[in-house]
Amino acid sequence: MRLRTTLASLLVSAALPVSAADMVFTSWGGTTQDAQTQAWAEPFTAETGVDVLQDGPTDYGKIKAMVESGSVSWDVVDVEGDYAAQAGPAGLLEPLDFMVIDRSKLDPRFVTDYSVGSFYYAFVIGCNRDAADDCPKTWADLFDTEKFPGKRAFYKWSAPGVIEAALLADGVAPADLYPLDLDRAFAKLDTIKDDIIWWSSGAQSQQLLASAETPFGSFWNGRLTALAESGVTVETSWDQNITAADSLVVPKGAKNKAEAMKFIALATSAKPQAELAAATGYAPINLDAPSEMDPKVRATLPDAQDAAQVNADMEYWAAHRDEIGTRWYAWQAE
Amino acid sequence: MPAVAVPVSSRPAPLGAAEPSGFAYVVPALLLVIVFFVFPVAALLLRSVTEPAPGLGNYAELFGSTTYLRIFLNTFLVSGLVTLISVTAGFPVAWMLAIMPRRLGRIVFAILILSMWTNLLARTYAWMVLLQRTGVINKTLMAMGVIDKPLELVNNLTGVTIGMTYIMLPFVILPLTGVIRAIDPAILQAAALCGATRAQALRRVLLPLALPGILSGALMVFVMSLGYFVTPALLGGTANMMLAELIAQFVQSLVNWGMGAAAAFALLVVTLGLYALQLRFFGPGRAGGL
Amino acid sequence: MLLNFDGLGAWKWPLVIFTALVSLFLLLPILFIVALSFGSSQWLIFPPPGWTTKWYVELFADPRWIEAAWTSLRIGLVVTVLSVLLGLLASFGLVRGRFRGAETLRALFLTPMILPVVVFAVALYAFALRLGLNGTFAGFVLAHTIVALPFSIIAISGALQGFDQAIEDAAVLCGATPLEAKLRVTLPAISHGLFAAAIFSFLMSWDEVVLAIFMSSPTLQTLPVKIWTTLRQDLTPVIAAASTLLVALTLILMLLAALFRKGDAR
Repeated sequence: MRLRTTLASLLVSAALPVSAADMVFTSWGGTTQDAQTQAWAEPFTAETGVDVLQDGPTDYGKIKAMVESGSVSWDVVDVEGDYAAQAGPAGLLEPLDFMVIDRSKLDPRFVTDYSVGSFYYAFVIGCNRDAADDCPKTWADLFDTEKFPGKRAFYKWSAPGVIEAALLADGVAPADLYPLDLDRAFAKLDTIKDDIIWWSSGAQSQQLLASAETPFGSFWNGRLTALAESGVTVETSWDQNITAADSLVVPKGAKNKAEAMKFIALATSAKPQAELAAATGYAPINLDAPSEMDPKVRATLPDAQDAAQVNADMEYWAAHRDEIGTRWYAWQAE
Repeated sequence: MPAVAVPVSSRPAPLGAAEPSGFAYVVPALLLVIVFFVFPVAALLLRSVTEPAPGLGNYAELFGSTTYLRIFLNTFLVSGLVTLISVTAGFPVAWMLAIMPRRLGRIVFAILILSMWTNLLARTYAWMVLLQRTGVINKTLMAMGVIDKPLELVNNLTGVTIGMTYIMLPFVILPLTGVIRAIDPAILQAAALCGATRAQALRRVLLPLALPGILSGALMVFVMSLGYFVTPALLGGTANMMLAELIAQFVQSLVNWGMGAAAAFALLVVTLGLYALQLRFFGPGRAGGL
Repeated sequence: MLLNFDGLGAWKWPLVIFTALVSLFLLLPILFIVALSFGSSQWLIFPPPGWTTKWYVELFADPRWIEAAWTSLRIGLVVTVLSVLLGLLASFGLVRGRFRGAETLRALFLTPMILPVVVFAVALYAFALRLGLNGTFAGFVLAHTIVALPFSIIAISGALQGFDQAIEDAAVLCGATPLEAKLRVTLPAISHGLFAAAIFSFLMSWDEVVLAIFMSSPTLQTLPVKIWTTLRQDLTPVIAAASTLLVALTLILMLLAALFRKGDAR
């Protein structure tokens, strides 16, 4: 037994605790988080002297466990908008301090008592020009397996995007989308189910399109921009692009609440938002940010496409997240 | 060695009196497992009857839904298929590995170790790219004129089976090689002397002698497959979902721990039941390493 | 006959060919990964449009990869030692012991192998948070030791069952203490089991990703976690480059071991 205690003490001493002056920002990893580090965390550290440790990827199971145990190691977390809208009232998040965060400049579509937008993105129709004879332009095209035979890629997880696309393809007017007619949406999805290849991560969606495994499909716009930059001939259709946002939240009981609020205030201010948008291809949620941007870059972002835009209703999704999710996964497994 | 067949309990008491019952040896591992495994897992499983409301509601939902039942069945189907293929393909290889000239044997052994050593995710991804419609295998076969339309090798049962068999093979081959090496060649020579043909010797002597190893390997693969998650998620289609994936979905995406715990508990009961069954039919000694 | 390679007769070649095919099957993804690591396309397209070594340059330019590999190695080694030690003791108890409930205990020890890792991961995560073990070296080691232990117990108790205890008893009769007999007679006799236990334990830890995702922190993450996050986000061939280097490292280690064995040959 002595050996075990010695070992145990050795192990514990090797652990590296996070020092008190730091805070932890958690996002989904990859290029987006790298951009968030550069555009938000670095200026924040320069301004306040507080180091921002990057963690990730975001995991809702982890957030729940942390809050329940009262040992919360994440201070600011980038989550999906519908999760934020649900988790806040469910007691998992701290209310945000709008004395510190300037609410007036933020896009009101993405602000709740517990969350503010992080950036927003659009589900658009992407197509690999070299692999497809003809590119689908509308959701109806993407759901038309006769005009556009072959596999098509869709987002695997239950989230705003695919159900809306199915309804739009079936002829529902954008204004009549909510409340979602789930029966109709699943019936429409059934018609192409055998031709769908699901992507579970942004990288996988790019891989599918680049390798022509799926010549077309529904993608996050930022991923298509990156794909085009890497030399793949991508055609993007913004027709009825479906927008949803990521949100910034503070888990309940976060250790560095004050720093967290300051961090969010900076992250959502005009210039850092503009920089993040330029780096990722996603749109800023600060209303002043577009004027800080290069007009050429701006033209490629979702907010330049608002005429064709369809907004996912986060409130609706928050209220029905569990119900839709359960049905969604059951339908997929059928 | 024939000595294996002697049941443990009928051995004479050990001469060194220092081993009263042997329980003390188990204590360190037991402590670790109880504190850091049994306790936390039990606390989580308890949620299946407390969340969202106390009662058996989660179990009613789980067993009342044809979708979830199908996922259960599919889990056993895939695990069974993977086990069958791994053992059938693994036995001849283990056999050869045990008797091959050293040089050749080392190469096969090196390949086994290499494949185990390569990151699981990287291997799974490699299979994804190899198997997809525009992947290397389909392109090669089409260029050779064997097929004129790409085969559906991934995002379905085929993909999961290939990917998981790939991972499980070394787990069958390595232990089985040890078992076959331990068999006394003289026994097979005796069989030959008695006039047994090769097929007879294989069926009546070699296979029965290797059976404990085969069974324990099969059980290990089956049980590991039941809980597999990354490979089915990447290589299978959503229609081939396995239980571990469903549990992960409940826990991480839907944040519904009650249902996740219920599904986990069901899986645990079934698997431990299978284990008990194996003990009953083959006894602890015959179950080989397990 | 069947256990003599040259005595296989007509069966020899079919069996050899079959073994070669299975080996090829096992080798295929590895060769593919190596090829991809030199491909110039970022998107795992095969055959790639050109060849490059830039992914290796990128790999070495990012200290996080090296750090992660080093962390994995350290955790893996400690886990191996713990798992083999605990597994050895437990196997002695389970195989030789005559106490009630030994079979139940054996089942208990194997349960971590059965339970989907994600269940254990979440359970342990919640528990470890309370103890402050998350993101610590000790947390990783504990978690991985628990999933490695079943493999260690299977391998060692299998070897121990195959070992005739009479030999150990004979050593005691000849004047060795029970401990000496165990150390100098039994342990060498079951060394192949210990070796298998060590390999499986190390691999379990080295390649484990689900628990590691839950245990990792910004300051401490393992190689599989790094690979996992990279796969999900960027899918860059840097992963292939990292895997290729590991394959190369394994080959070198195996060659060294072979040379060592040659020098050691009786």
